[in-house]
Amino acid sequence: MTAAAALELDNIRVRYGSHLAVDGVTLRVGRGEIVGLLGPNGSGKSSTLAAAAGVIEPVAGTVSVDGIRRTADPCGFAKRIGLVPQEPALYDELSAESNLVFFGRLYGLGGPDLRKKVDLALTRVRLIDRADDRVSTFSGGMKQRLNLACALLHGPLVLLLDEPTAALDPASRDALFADLHDLRDAGHAILLSTHHLDEAESGCDRIAVLEAGKLVASGKPHDLIRRQPGNRAVLYAHLREALPRFFVRGLQQRADDGVEIEIVGRRLRLSANSHESLGRALAMVLADGIVLDAFRTPPGRLDCLLRGVPVEPDATEPVAPPRR
Amino acid sequence: MRRHLALILALAAKDWQLFLADRRAAVLCFAVPIVLASGFGIVFHKTAGSSDGPKLQLLVVVEEDTPFTRRVVDDLLASPRVEAEVVTAAEAERRVADRRPGVAVVFPAGFDKLTEWTPGKAVAHRPKLRILHSPLSEGEGQWAEGVASEVVVRRLARDRLTPWVGGDGAVSLPFAVETKPAGGPGDGFNSYSHSFSGMTLQYLLFWGMESGLLLLRERQRSLWARLRAAPVPLRDVLLGKALSTAAIALLQVVVTFGFGHLVFGVTLTGSVAGFVLIALGISALAASTGLLVAAVGGTEARARSVCILAILGVSMLGGLWLPSFVLPGWARDVALSLPTTWAMHGLDGVTWQGRGFLDTLPNAAVISGFAAVFLAVAVAKLVTSEARRRRGLV
Repeated sequence: MTAAAALELDNIRVRYGSHLAVDGVTLRVGRGEIVGLLGPNGSGKSSTLAAAAGVIEPVAGTVSVDGIRRTADPCGFAKRIGLVPQEPALYDELSAESNLVFFGRLYGLGGPDLRKKVDLALTRVRLIDRADDRVSTFSGGMKQRLNLACALLHGPLVLLLDEPTAALDPASRDALFADLHDLRDAGHAILLSTHHLDEAESGCDRIAVLEAGKLVASGKPHDLIRRQPGNRAVLYAHLREALPRFFVRGLQQRADDGVEIEIVGRRLRLSANSHESLGRALAMVLADGIVLDAFRTPPGRLDCLLRGVPVEPDATEPVAPPRR
Repeated sequence: MRRHLALILALAAKDWQLFLADRRAAVLCFAVPIVLASGFGIVFHKTAGSSDGPKLQLLVVVEEDTPFTRRVVDDLLASPRVEAEVVTAAEAERRVADRRPGVAVVFPAGFDKLTEWTPGKAVAHRPKLRILHSPLSEGEGQWAEGVASEVVVRRLARDRLTPWVGGDGAVSLPFAVETKPAGGPGDGFNSYSHSFSGMTLQYLLFWGMESGLLLLRERQRSLWARLRAAPVPLRDVLLGKALSTAAIALLQVVVTFGFGHLVFGVTLTGSVAGFVLIALGISALAASTGLLVAAVGGTEARARSVCILAILGVSMLGGLWLPSFVLPGWARDVALSLPTTWAMHGLDGVTWQGRGFLDTLPNAAVISGFAAVFLAVAVAKLVTSEARRRRGLV
C-alpha cells in the first residue's frame, strides 16, 4: 500500500439473523487507490460494502473513514462516503439536475455552491446537456453515470460502488472505469465489488478476494496471478439480449465437466480447464442462437481464485484469523 | 435545529416534486374527491324547507271489496307520502322478495269489521293490517306501518264523526305540525355540505395510505440505502414525509371545498378560523396515518388490504357517507372513539351548523390528539425497525 488509508475495515463481522455474511474481514483502501472486492454471489461483497457505508452495523470490528468511526461522528463519517448502489438509486420521475440538487441538499449543500457542484458533476459524467431530462428517459449507462455523480456531488473521500458494471454494455463499462481512474488520480479512495475477473484484473490497483464471507486473498492483480499454479481458459462476452433463467440453467446442465457458464444480466463468463473445452462450450452457446456483441479472452488465471484453488495471502495485507 | 429544518424541507420538497411529476395523477388526486362528493351530494340533495320530501314506494293488496276498505285504499293511494300501486297478493309477495319495492300493505278479508268498533268498548276480534317487507327493508316496513295506520285512523275518525260534525265529515288534525331543521341556520344547509366534508375526509385518509405505501416501496429500493448512508437522521426523513403528505392533504381540502363553494354553494356558516383549524388537524391526521401504515403495514400488499378495510370502516362509522343517525345505537357509541367522527362533526359544525371558533376546539383537539399518537407510534416503530435492520436482525 503506497498511500495513507482512507477507509479501514478492521476485523468486521456482519450477521443477518443467524447467517454470518462477513466473517472477520480486514481491509484498507488508500487515497488514490482502486480496490476490487472479488467473489462469487453470496461471498459477502455487498455486505462488506454496506458495512463500509454505514448502512449495516457490523456485529464486531470497526469501520473508519479518514480515521473517523461512524459511532463517534455519524455526520462526519457519512460526509466522507459516497455510495453507489448496484441498482441506480435515483428518482426516475425527476430530472437529472433535480436528483443531484436533492442529494446535494442532504449533504448540507445549498445556494450557488450547490449549483456549481451540480453543473460540475453533470459535466464530469457527460450529462450536462441532459440536465433537465427525466431520468426515466435515460439509458442504463446514463443512469449509472448519474448514480455515480450523485455519490460524488459532496466530494467524498471514499467511493463505494456495488457491482457498478452489472447492467452496462462494454462501451459504458469502459467509460465508467475511465471515470473511476480519473477519480483515483484525483485522490479518491475507491472500493468496488465485482465478480468479473477481467474488470478486477484490468481496472483495479488491488484485489481482495472474498469467499463465504472471509477474505481469502488480497494483493495486486499481477501478484495474485503470478502465484496461481495453473491456467484456465476464460472468455468474457457481452450478450445482445438478456436470457431467461431456464435457458441459462439448460446451458449450464449441458456443459462439459469443468466448464463454468455464468450469465449476469447481459454479461457472460465462460471458463474451462482447456482451450478445447472452452471452444466446445462457446460452440454450444452460439448453436443455441445466442448472439455476442463483443467478447475477449484475457489470460484468466485469476479465475482459479473463484474456483477454490488455494492461494497464499498477500503478506502486505492483514488477513483475518480463521474463526469458528 | 436549523440544519434539521433544512433537511426536512429538502425531503418534503422532493416529495412535492415527485407528486407533481405525474401531472395527470396529481389532477386525479384532486378530482376524485370532488367527483365522489358531487355524486353523493346529488343523490341526497334536499334543500332546507323543501316540501318535496321523499316518497315511500309500496304495494297495496286488497283482499275484500267493502266500502270502508275501498275508501281507506283510495286515501292511501292519494297520500302525498307514498307512491302506491294495487296488486294481487301473489304479485306482492314476488315483488317484495325482489325489493321492487321492498314493502307491501295488505288489507285482509274482514278488515271492514273495524267499522263495528265503538270508542270505549272492547273488541273481541281486532282486524289485522298486514305489512309485508323484505328482510333488507325493515325500515321501510316501519315507515309503511306509520303511513297506513294514519290513513286508517283518519278514515275511521271521519266516518265515525260525520253524524256529529255534519257536512262531508272532513276531519283535520286539531294541531299544526311545523318541520324545521335543527342544529344550525336552516338556510345555510345543503346536502353538499355534508357530502363534501365526508368525501374530502375519506379521500385524505386514502391519500395518507398512498403516502405510506410509497414509503414502504422506497424502503425496498436502493434509494433507501443511499438515503440511509447520507448524514440524515431517520426522524428527519419521516418528518419530511409527514410534512409533504400533510401539505398536499391541506391543498386537497382547499381545492375540494373551493369547488364545492363555487359549484354547489357549500358555505362556511361557522367560524373560518375553526375551519382552518379542523383542516390542519385532518391534514396532520392523514400524514400520521400514512406513516402508521408504513410502520405497521409489513408488506405493501398486506398494508393496502388492511388499510382499505380500516378506512372504509371508520368512514362508515364516522358518518362520512351518510349521517351517523342512520346507524344503530351501539355503532354510534363505538364511532365516538374514532377520529373520523370528531372530524366530521367539526366540519359539519363550521360548514352548515354555524358553530363558532370555541365550539370547534374540542373537535380539533381530539383530531390533533389522534394525529400526535399515530405519529409517535409510527416514528417509534420505524426507528426501532430501522435500527434492527441496520444490525442485520431483520
